[in-house]
Amino acid sequence: MAGESNIRTALSNPAGWQSLLSFSILALAYLAAFSSRLFAVIRFESIIHEFDPWFNYRSTHHLVNYGFYNFLNWFDERAWYPLGRIVGGTVYPGLMVTAGTIHWLLNSLHITVHIRDVCVFLAPTFSGLTSIATYLLTKELWSQGAGLLAACFIAIVPGYISRSVAGSYDNEGIAIFALLFTYFLWVKSVKTGSIFWAGCTALAYFYMVSAWGGYVYIINLIPLHVFVLLLMGRFSYRIFVAYCAFFILGLLLSMQVPFVGFQPIRTSEHMASAGVFALLIAYGFLKYLHTHLSSLTKSEMRSLFFFAVAASAAAVLMAVVYLTYAGYVAPWSGRFYSLYDTGYAKIHIPIIASVSEHQPTTWVSFFFDLHVLVCTFPAGVWFCIKKINDERVFIVLYAISASYFAGVMVRLMLTLTPVVCILSAIAFSNVLERYLVDDTPKVHHIEDESEDDEEGDKRNKSKDLYDKVTKTAGKVRKIRHEPSGEPESLGGNVKTIVVMAVMMILMMFAVHCTWVTSNAYSSPSVVLASYNHDGSRNILDDFREAYYWLRQNTDDHSRVMSWWDYGYQIAGMANRTTLVDNNTWNNSHIALVGKAMSSNETRAYEIMKALDVDYVLVIFGGVIGYSGDDINKFLWMVRIAEGEHPKEIREGDYFTPQGEFRVDKAGSKTLLNCLMYKLCYYRFGEMQLDFRTPPGFDRTRNVEIGNKDISFQHLEEAYTTEHWLVRIYKVKKQDNRVRLDHTVRKTDIKPKTKFTSRKSGKRKRGFIKNKLLIKKGKRPSSKNKKPSRKSSSKK
Amino acid sequence: MNRVGYELVIFGALLASCCTANQGALGGDLVNTAVNRQIDLTSQLAKFTTTITLENAGKTATTSFVLAIDPSLRDRLSFIGATTKDDDAEKLPVTQTTVPGRTTDILFRVDLPKALGAGQSTTVNVEESYTHAQTPFPAQITQAEDQLVLFKGNLHFYSPYKTQSETTTVKLASSKVESHTKTKAKVEDSSIVYGPFENVEPFSQEKLQVHYENNTPFLAVSSLVRVIEVSHWGNIAVEETYDVRHSGARLKGSFSRYDYQRQLDGRSSVKSFKTILPAAARDVYYRDEIGNISTSNLNEQDDAVELELRPRFPLFGGWKTHYYIGYNLPSYEYLYNSGDEYALQMRFVDHVYDDQVIDDITVKIILPEGSKNVDLSVPFPVDRHPDELHFTYLDTFGRPVVVAHKSNLVEQHIQDFTLRYSFQKLLLLQEPLLVVFAFYILFFTVIVYVRLDFAISKDEASESRMRMQGLLDQLQAAQDKRTSLYQRYEDAIAKFKSTKDLAGFTGSRKKIDAEHKELSSTIKELQGKLKLESTDVAEKVGELQKLDTNLKEQIGLSITLAEKVVAGKMGKQQYVDNEKVYSAKREDIMGKTETLLSTL
Repeated sequence: MAGESNIRTALSNPAGWQSLLSFSILALAYLAAFSSRLFAVIRFESIIHEFDPWFNYRSTHHLVNYGFYNFLNWFDERAWYPLGRIVGGTVYPGLMVTAGTIHWLLNSLHITVHIRDVCVFLAPTFSGLTSIATYLLTKELWSQGAGLLAACFIAIVPGYISRSVAGSYDNEGIAIFALLFTYFLWVKSVKTGSIFWAGCTALAYFYMVSAWGGYVYIINLIPLHVFVLLLMGRFSYRIFVAYCAFFILGLLLSMQVPFVGFQPIRTSEHMASAGVFALLIAYGFLKYLHTHLSSLTKSEMRSLFFFAVAASAAAVLMAVVYLTYAGYVAPWSGRFYSLYDTGYAKIHIPIIASVSEHQPTTWVSFFFDLHVLVCTFPAGVWFCIKKINDERVFIVLYAISASYFAGVMVRLMLTLTPVVCILSAIAFSNVLERYLVDDTPKVHHIEDESEDDEEGDKRNKSKDLYDKVTKTAGKVRKIRHEPSGEPESLGGNVKTIVVMAVMMILMMFAVHCTWVTSNAYSSPSVVLASYNHDGSRNILDDFREAYYWLRQNTDDHSRVMSWWDYGYQIAGMANRTTLVDNNTWNNSHIALVGKAMSSNETRAYEIMKALDVDYVLVIFGGVIGYSGDDINKFLWMVRIAEGEHPKEIREGDYFTPQGEFRVDKAGSKTLLNCLMYKLCYYRFGEMQLDFRTPPGFDRTRNVEIGNKDISFQHLEEAYTTEHWLVRIYKVKKQDNRVRLDHTVRKTDIKPKTKFTSRKSGKRKRGFIKNKLLIKKGKRPSSKNKKPSRKSSSKK
Repeated sequence: MNRVGYELVIFGALLASCCTANQGALGGDLVNTAVNRQIDLTSQLAKFTTTITLENAGKTATTSFVLAIDPSLRDRLSFIGATTKDDDAEKLPVTQTTVPGRTTDILFRVDLPKALGAGQSTTVNVEESYTHAQTPFPAQITQAEDQLVLFKGNLHFYSPYKTQSETTTVKLASSKVESHTKTKAKVEDSSIVYGPFENVEPFSQEKLQVHYENNTPFLAVSSLVRVIEVSHWGNIAVEETYDVRHSGARLKGSFSRYDYQRQLDGRSSVKSFKTILPAAARDVYYRDEIGNISTSNLNEQDDAVELELRPRFPLFGGWKTHYYIGYNLPSYEYLYNSGDEYALQMRFVDHVYDDQVIDDITVKIILPEGSKNVDLSVPFPVDRHPDELHFTYLDTFGRPVVVAHKSNLVEQHIQDFTLRYSFQKLLLLQEPLLVVFAFYILFFTVIVYVRLDFAISKDEASESRMRMQGLLDQLQAAQDKRTSLYQRYEDAIAKFKSTKDLAGFTGSRKKIDAEHKELSSTIKELQGKLKLESTDVAEKVGELQKLDTNLKEQIGLSITLAEKVVAGKMGKQQYVDNEKVYSAKREDIMGKTETLLSTL
């Protein structure tokens, strides 16, 4: 009897059920987040994707092989030849250290996992953690139910998956987790006002700083939050403690990352946080004075207070402006300025504008990446504003700022995605709370309504006071009963229909996410695949074919010139020295390579000689119709080269008089004879792809090429991959004697040998060119003899 | 130092054995009455098949004879073997030997199956394989050119005995011959026949040189590391790491994909080759440092798994590549045991491609943790390196690794080795137990952490909450019991009404009353305790008590009513009406109690 009742109480104990349920939902969300990112691994293999991840992988490899200190001091002489790159000081080490630590941990337990597999599966692992961090944040902001929904959303939303599929071993993979976790801890510390939570926030912020350049977003958003709270008159000592502790610790910790160094006190991007700190201190000081100056009346006090705060704010602003002008603080960098003015990069920093992920976002991609969430997200914002409190101010600010940034740059969709998930989850959870009410027997209802409402109010109050006495057990009951006040009028059918509709939408969301993930974001881009009519798959492995050829069959120290996109891949897969790579820190060096590519062969040879280039690598998609090849990128090379060498390279020269960029016969002469064109189309003119098209038909641009007669003087084809996707040329060493490229002018001069022989033979002193031949010593005919005789007689 | 010492010991032992056991004379007065040599140059190897008819011209019987290796090819020798020229082709043991006076020559002693008496003769087949014996000449060719190679050898059979008659047939890869030694030569399509030569003296040498076209792939494995990992859970994992190069004429100038695709040239290049794996091979992979090599085909046949490998790029002269292949095998096909004694029988080197040339091979055999008394026997001499330790999943003190090395191998070396070792079966349980123990510790830690309070400061609020929760649970249980009592009251009343047994009814009523009293006092006690935690809750419990007293009163009324009706003091209809009112009230109070409880 007793045992039975125990079981009964245990089963009816809602807290137990709830924690079990939420635990299993979170575990499933983790699993979904992990497994939905494995499309690429299952379809292809466990491989590092794209470009930047190859560098990250290479440096992780270095870290694992040589240890942490050697990694920090690593000078990479294989990049940016002949300049080299100080990798330890120009990289956010968080990603590598994370992967290295996991690898070390596993290997010290004798679990022999290759570092490549650790790197490949790092992003999915952290996506799972992100969904848990989202749950925690949403739970702090709203309710547990909303938290679970948010965790499920972020687990599968394509906007986040796009940067965190297995193999996409990039900073963003772990940074979004760090970002959300920092925000969670910040909300927690704002709620509690405890130094412990603020310290944790600073630690999480440190991790974020070490992982991604996007940490600047945190260090501007949190001060903004504090500032807005001040403006709203919501100052409290909780915020004071939380922010001061976070700012000081965070500042000191962030300066420990070598790449960041003194930036937090020397650049404008960080000045907002320092300014808000000063303002907060001033505000706190005035508050303190307030308690001592009780002689003034309330209105006087208020105006004085307002004036003092405004003055201190102005003083802080002035100080920052002065420091910037005096040169102590660096002004906003171009990358940040381009967030303000979208046209800025295109004019001033073409190298940033040339990257497709820095383009403004289209409306389509919002829907593509977020689906229904983008529609419910404003509803969530509205709910938050309607029931505002300190931490909801934060999420609203986050929502507004992230929406702006996502509109400016496709890449920043990534920071918008989590807040969209959170706020949509709040909206959905509100709807479901209202319509998914368990129809409990009416008997209880009518009577406990009054009590219940009272209790609900109490709880709301207690929530505002951050009194955590009420347990989750109470919360659920509240959820069940709270809406029972008004929606008594709602019929069961309406409820069912609404719930069904919501479920349908969510189902479609899940389907859409899976489809987008599988089709758009799960290609390694190192390996291409094409499908035949019968569904069988062809793998185009040309990139690796070429890189591996370089790795195996060229000298270990040979230098490969290519456009910067392929720098990291060449370094990672071919292990050869590159001139420029995706870490585009030196614009003039890139411009030099661009100039070589856009000059004619002789000029290019000069540059290549100066840069000690051994091999040139180009990507050519004309045979298989691959659109991301170097000819399509060529105009950016020209533009970047023009930026540094405006006298030699002019963009206009590469267009037809009508202003078109054409590779066929109508194309400009400069284009048809520049190095890039020749490298791509060498011997392509002889190749007939199929019988309907003429030889030399470019499938990417759908034209017959204009210059089919291409020959090289200083280069020779070293390797071309099976589908001609990658072409590698060897730069010949200089000849001992410069050969003339024109035939020697022919004259009537007799060969010298004849002349000398004649001289020696006949012992003549001189030789006059084109002299009339006079035959000497031959008498004219007999008639003529007479006068001569006469003359001789005269003598 | 240790390793050097070890090697020295081995070397010394070898030397000693050479000096004592293998030293011998040339073996009496033997004469090669007829020698027929076939030199097969159709592949990159030089394969010699020599049929020797030996005659014992001496007086004493001999049990062995000596083979000498041609000095011009002595560094290239990879394999030598002899069989009898019978139908059953019995294999004859061949051992290296030295003979006083011929120190510069490499000599092998072949033991005959039965002693060769004076005047008797026998016929023996000798097989030799030489690697890298054909050198490309010119050493560099363009993509369009054919590969020409030069073979230099001995026109005569290099033998310590006198040869009475010999012929040599050189089989070439093509009929295109640039030049060849003209002595007694007869060119027939793609082969050249030299001889017959009569009465050739022992150890006679004469230059044989052939320059001809050979476009067969000159593929050589520069180094091969074969790792065999034995697991007693039923699996043997094999991983082979290859460094492969094209050892033919180097490519001069550029490589043109256009010309290569038209398949007009590049005839000596290697596009793909076939590796034959054991028939039981599963989970085959073909990778290199940058991932899977997608250009391969697996073809499963009855007796083997054929793996068609295409390197990422075609191999031209001088180009090289690096890859690794791995697969799993079921251990029952290769691992034998009797008690704790185990024997692993596998191939020392496996098939890589036809006419393979392997310059160096290192075989590493990883045995299960705890294996002892390891003994390796290979049918041909190998260098055994000191054992290593290997750590992988769940290892604590490491798995022993047997390492053996050999240079210059051809396909005749595809032979089984036998590795004997002892392993206690009980050790098999070590690793699962380790996992069990680790999880046990993990869960135990979690249990301890959750159950105990590690806070430095006391959290009054939460403790009081927890205490209160406990008290409330008790309260709930007591209240549940008390509610059930009312049911019993009603049952008793119903029974009383039907049986009209007043005594029994009073008895049961008293019993229930007593229980009720007890429970009420328990609740009262709990109320007192709750008052310490929260007056709010205690008040509610007080309310509960009040409701209960109410209920009790109601039931009391009901009982009097029942007594009345049983005693006949009240009409039936009246009773039913009254009872209805009372029971409604009871229901009402019960409902109130329920709601009150749910707010606690």
